[in-house]
Amino acid sequence: MKVICWKLCITILPLIFLAGVPLAPALAGVKGAYLYRLSDFTGAIPYSTPRVTVDKERKETYVLYQNSISVFNESGMEVYRFGDDLDLGQILDIALDGHGNPLILSYRSIDPEKGEIEIIRCNFRGEPTGKIVLKNLPAGFSDFQPNRISCSGGTLYLANLSRLKIVLTDSDGNFRKGYDLIPLLGLKESDRGDTEIGGFSLQDDGSILFTIPVRFSAHRLYPDGKLASFGKPGGAPGKFNVVSGIVADSKGNYLVVDKLKSTVMVFDQGFNYLNQFGYRGLKGGGLIAPDDIAIDKGDRVYVTQNGKRGVSVFGLTYN
Amino acid sequence: MKGLKIGLAIAAVALLTIGTGGAAFAFHSGGVAECSGCHNMHSPAAGGSSLLVGTDPSSACLTCHSHAGDTGPSSYHIATADADMPAGTAPKQRTPGGDFGWVKKTYNFTLRGTPTTETGDSHGHNIVAADFGFTTDGTNTTAPGGTFVSAQLGCQSCHDPHSKQRRLTDGSIVSTGAPIVASGSYDSSIGNSAAKPIPAGQAVGVYRLLAGNGYTKGAASYTGVPAAVAPATYNRTEATTQTRVAYGVATGTGKVTWSNWCGTCHGDMHSTGNYVHPVDTAMSTAIKNNYNAYVSSGIMTGSASTAYLSLAPFAENTGDYTVLGGHAKNDNTQLGGPGDGDQVACISCHRAHATAFPEMVRWQSEGEFITAVKADGTTPVWPNNTDTPTSNFARGRATEAEQAAGYYDRPATVFGAYQRVLCNKCHAKD
Repeated sequence: MKVICWKLCITILPLIFLAGVPLAPALAGVKGAYLYRLSDFTGAIPYSTPRVTVDKERKETYVLYQNSISVFNESGMEVYRFGDDLDLGQILDIALDGHGNPLILSYRSIDPEKGEIEIIRCNFRGEPTGKIVLKNLPAGFSDFQPNRISCSGGTLYLANLSRLKIVLTDSDGNFRKGYDLIPLLGLKESDRGDTEIGGFSLQDDGSILFTIPVRFSAHRLYPDGKLASFGKPGGAPGKFNVVSGIVADSKGNYLVVDKLKSTVMVFDQGFNYLNQFGYRGLKGGGLIAPDDIAIDKGDRVYVTQNGKRGVSVFGLTYN
Repeated sequence: MKGLKIGLAIAAVALLTIGTGGAAFAFHSGGVAECSGCHNMHSPAAGGSSLLVGTDPSSACLTCHSHAGDTGPSSYHIATADADMPAGTAPKQRTPGGDFGWVKKTYNFTLRGTPTTETGDSHGHNIVAADFGFTTDGTNTTAPGGTFVSAQLGCQSCHDPHSKQRRLTDGSIVSTGAPIVASGSYDSSIGNSAAKPIPAGQAVGVYRLLAGNGYTKGAASYTGVPAAVAPATYNRTEATTQTRVAYGVATGTGKVTWSNWCGTCHGDMHSTGNYVHPVDTAMSTAIKNNYNAYVSSGIMTGSASTAYLSLAPFAENTGDYTVLGGHAKNDNTQLGGPGDGDQVACISCHRAHATAFPEMVRWQSEGEFITAVKADGTTPVWPNNTDTPTSNFARGRATEAEQAAGYYDRPATVFGAYQRVLCNKCHAKD
């Protein structure tokens, strides 16, 4: 019996190393089924890496592309468009305030050091109703210039992707909390210029999800400041080539976009790889250099792509 | 049974070991990067090559080197995403090589009553990166002055992604020997200052992983790497201070001068054996004096200590990286003009990737003036459709910011009104 067991282990071990595939609850049933691409009445809209965000309450999807913000209904059809001039500045990102009103992050200068970042409150028509000014930023964040915005429970979550800093404020822009990810990730200050955040989103409990492509890693920053990390470089399913967007579904699974592999990988709450969907290709559910990702309450997944492939929508199903 | 438990324990340890990889740091680190950043052993692009995942090599590069959502110059990004370039706005990156986004910016305007188009493909090297919307040069089927096929042009035509070229402690550049431990491109890199020599038994990578001796792509066969050092923060606006890349002149095994390197593909444009503008040639005393005295059109009161202009750089007559490292600054502390033996090179007038202007020149050379005045008749302004709508020099740029982007955001007041083309920085004919 001993001999058999040792032989078994000796046989299995090399296979584990060679395959590089996580053993864990692999292929537990989460699947992404391709549904459609976001469209107008002329067909799928040929965006290249737009920003996408979802108004979960109103089941609407907002897409930002070349300073124009389009609103799509639950069927993926464009129903409204605004911001397509430069009156609102150059729009970087959009969030919803919980009441269906857009919060627009924009700037008016090529030089973010000049402090011309603006957060513009709009009504549901996209008409400006006011501005939010960041206030009481402490030392270390006084020059903070965000290029991502999210909103949940009256808190604004702002990120500067290239500086690896995140600031939380109240709905009026008053500073609540700030994170400098460089020390949190165990990096040196000299790494700041060579490292950036790829994807950035919120989980329902206020956790911040983000990826660091050059470190082949994905992270969950809990509201108490605890950081959990996962990801390993590699080509096998479940390993990371160049990761980008990240979101969590209604079950708490993590969906991580891999730009290079052109897939969306699904991990369970314990960061165990479950499955992937997408794959490089022009047909149906194929993806070309996917980047951003958003998810609605019904676990419909919106994936932006490059190469004028627009935004593909997938439905998650669970066994 | 006990054996099985021990075996499983070993397997568990093995799995944990696999799962605790180290940090990636700067990814390239002066040489070949982590394989998984570009290749996929198990699911490469169908019909592709080399187990690459991108549709083509340049698409693989841009997966990291382009990113939607930048507010401005951002680290190692060298191509502004389509999503960030609405009409009337400029690409956002300000690397010394230039933003490839410019090749997607086509301008239509009326010039002296004639509808005119300034095509995007005239603005730079038209790399083919299908996933990112970069297509083959629509004008040139081969490299101007050479036979390199335009349809084959990609990042890998000039950069060696697996570069084995290394600079050793003695300054020699070879493809084998001591291991490459880090980039050698920056003023902060080891080997680029007397205070931080390359440790014995180690080497640094060559400037920007540029193709070196023995590297061949299509009709291009390189014979060496040119010398340069960049400031560690190089992708930045020059609204207040200039970014000085210290280009050098290095010769010997594994090294070439800058224009000879460009001439690998553009051989007939090199002045050796061809009646064209001289390159790889020491600036004459008259030219040096012009450069050092030139401030702006008609103003010749400058001095050699502050004459440097990143819109018209030159190659210093040295292959000493500690000298170059000391000159590669972004804070205006190193603005010395050309000295004896310093050379004019292709990069004196062109950026390597792309610019806002035709023929990838560093300034608008399709006319006599590069600045104008606002309606008040005196305030200098970069020509644009808003402030100078009747100017022949706006050339379709919607706003001053869009035009200024081509000059890395300098205010027009740096030169003043009615500044003429920057050929005059050396030739002072204005």
